Amino acid sequence: MPILEARSLSKRFRRPDKGSGFKGALKHLVQRKYKNFTAVDAIDLSIEPGESVAYVGPNGAGKSTTVKLLTGILQPTEGTVRVMGRDPHTERIANAHDIGVLFGQRTQLWWDLPVEESLKLLKHMYGVSEADYKARIERFDELLGLGEFMPALARTLSLGQRMRADLACALIHDPKMVYLDEPTIGLDISVKDRLRAFLRQLVDDGTTLLLTSHDLADIEEVCERIVVIDEGRIAYDGPIEQLKAHYITTKAVNLILDGPADAEALAEKFPHYEWSAGEASSEVTATYESSRFTTAEVLGDLTAQLAPRDLSLSEPSIEDVIRRLYAGELTK
Amino acid sequence: MADAIAAPRGHRFAADRALALISFKRRLAYKTTWLFSITFGGWQLLVGIVVWEHIIGAGSVGGYDWDAMRAYLLIGFVTSTIAWGGADWQMANRILDGLVAIDMTKPVDFQRARAAEYVGGAASVLPTAVLGAVAAWFLFDPQLPVTPLAGVLTVVSILFIFPMAFGVGYLSIMLCFWTRRYLGIQWAKDGFVAFFSGMMVPLALMPGWLQVLSWCLPFPHFTTTPAAIYLGRVDTLGALGLIAAEAAWVVVMWGGARLIWRRAIKKVTIHGG
Repeated sequence: MPILEARSLSKRFRRPDKGSGFKGALKHLVQRKYKNFTAVDAIDLSIEPGESVAYVGPNGAGKSTTVKLLTGILQPTEGTVRVMGRDPHTERIANAHDIGVLFGQRTQLWWDLPVEESLKLLKHMYGVSEADYKARIERFDELLGLGEFMPALARTLSLGQRMRADLACALIHDPKMVYLDEPTIGLDISVKDRLRAFLRQLVDDGTTLLLTSHDLADIEEVCERIVVIDEGRIAYDGPIEQLKAHYITTKAVNLILDGPADAEALAEKFPHYEWSAGEASSEVTATYESSRFTTAEVLGDLTAQLAPRDLSLSEPSIEDVIRRLYAGELTK
Repeated sequence: MADAIAAPRGHRFAADRALALISFKRRLAYKTTWLFSITFGGWQLLVGIVVWEHIIGAGSVGGYDWDAMRAYLLIGFVTSTIAWGGADWQMANRILDGLVAIDMTKPVDFQRARAAEYVGGAASVLPTAVLGAVAAWFLFDPQLPVTPLAGVLTVVSILFIFPMAFGVGYLSIMLCFWTRRYLGIQWAKDGFVAFFSGMMVPLALMPGWLQVLSWCLPFPHFTTTPAAIYLGRVDTLGALGLIAAEAAWVVVMWGGARLIWRRAIKKVTIHGG
């Protein structure tokens, strides 16, 4: 039975349609006009317990709005959501006991108090026992290094510390379903690595995770399934490996030759590969369809006939695939 | 809305206490502002004493002689300190900055949580009210309550200012869901409270129709009610009636706010991250 199920979920907002400048503002005072804007458009989504799902899309695609619908913050215009069998909006408080939420761009820490005070308040809100609270704080300290800034005022924390503290706040009650909305936004690489390792551990422990991020490394390292949303609609929903297998059909060999490399001449000599010039005059790339040739065959062919000084292999990243999905070049 | 179906009762009270305490601590975190509010409150009382002594002299105005007016001003100082003690703008900012989204992911009733915070914040001004009142008592020797029972009922009526001030403040911040701004609403609300409560000028000095209008609103209970009980302008039965009216306003504002919240929650439109 799914832990989360959304059916035909839609959210429309009404936005003021003002003309530009002072005249437009005055006109809007007496003659109000509005435009309807569809942020989420008839989405179907089902998540099983223990799944780790990446929810990705370009800016304004409807990711955060979907998270707010799934967490009960927003009421759907149409459609239904059930989280552990409950409507998260009308049964908000009961639902809140079982979910953990982190919005990367908004903190839930009390700004002018030590981090410890915020966590203690949440302990009381969720009714966490003293023993469980201590055990979880110790675990967060071990995995997130929380102890070093527990006594610090929230407003004095670095962004990385703030995000780690916010993550602890979202997980202090050991929720079954966790929503993380851009948890690594603005963080440096070392803090990102630490957070990703923590999230992997969380998934391994059986927590269900829905993660939105623009950082595709977050997605590849933490999630098994990816849902791509664009203009409020789901463009792809499936395992990340399947997305790669389905859309990553080519591989490339990057060659550095001893002399200048002429891509056009090479295309005539090796017409079954696609050739493109590299950054330096001696660099050239041969792209081949992985279903037609094995890498060994291609390497044998090119090294025997071109005797390159050096070579490397590459394949399109998940980022390239998603970029092409956003651009509408690929369809499911 | 099923918001009321919540965690076990013990958890809810523990959460209320924790929210009130954290709100209290937040106020004390800004010690300079806190000390400034004590000083400013005392300064307002001193100005009131000087001005009204000049106006009343040896006679009386609106039924208040100088002895009664000193007591009125002292009660006004205590009630206004409590009434302005809550942080409406903090509640408003949670809505305007979109932090209401985070509040809605927590297993607490939004209104009840804000009430707990409000009371905790307002309690931080109690030292101001008590210290100021004691100092003023020694300095200006105001008259005692007409009877010991009147004194007790005055304290009860003053305690009702906490939930009433929350009710007025909370209803005013609900408007932010529609206006997307709070400054103008706050000015209007503060103006209404100061004018119709009798904090600025005793209601007895206003035209009859304005007094009638005032008593149709909750605001007179912020100063005029405790002062009337203390000075014996109403008998015991009248005092109990006024306290009952305060309780009724608390219930009406609490219930009204619940109804408005049901509509307001549909106006939550937090775009982007």
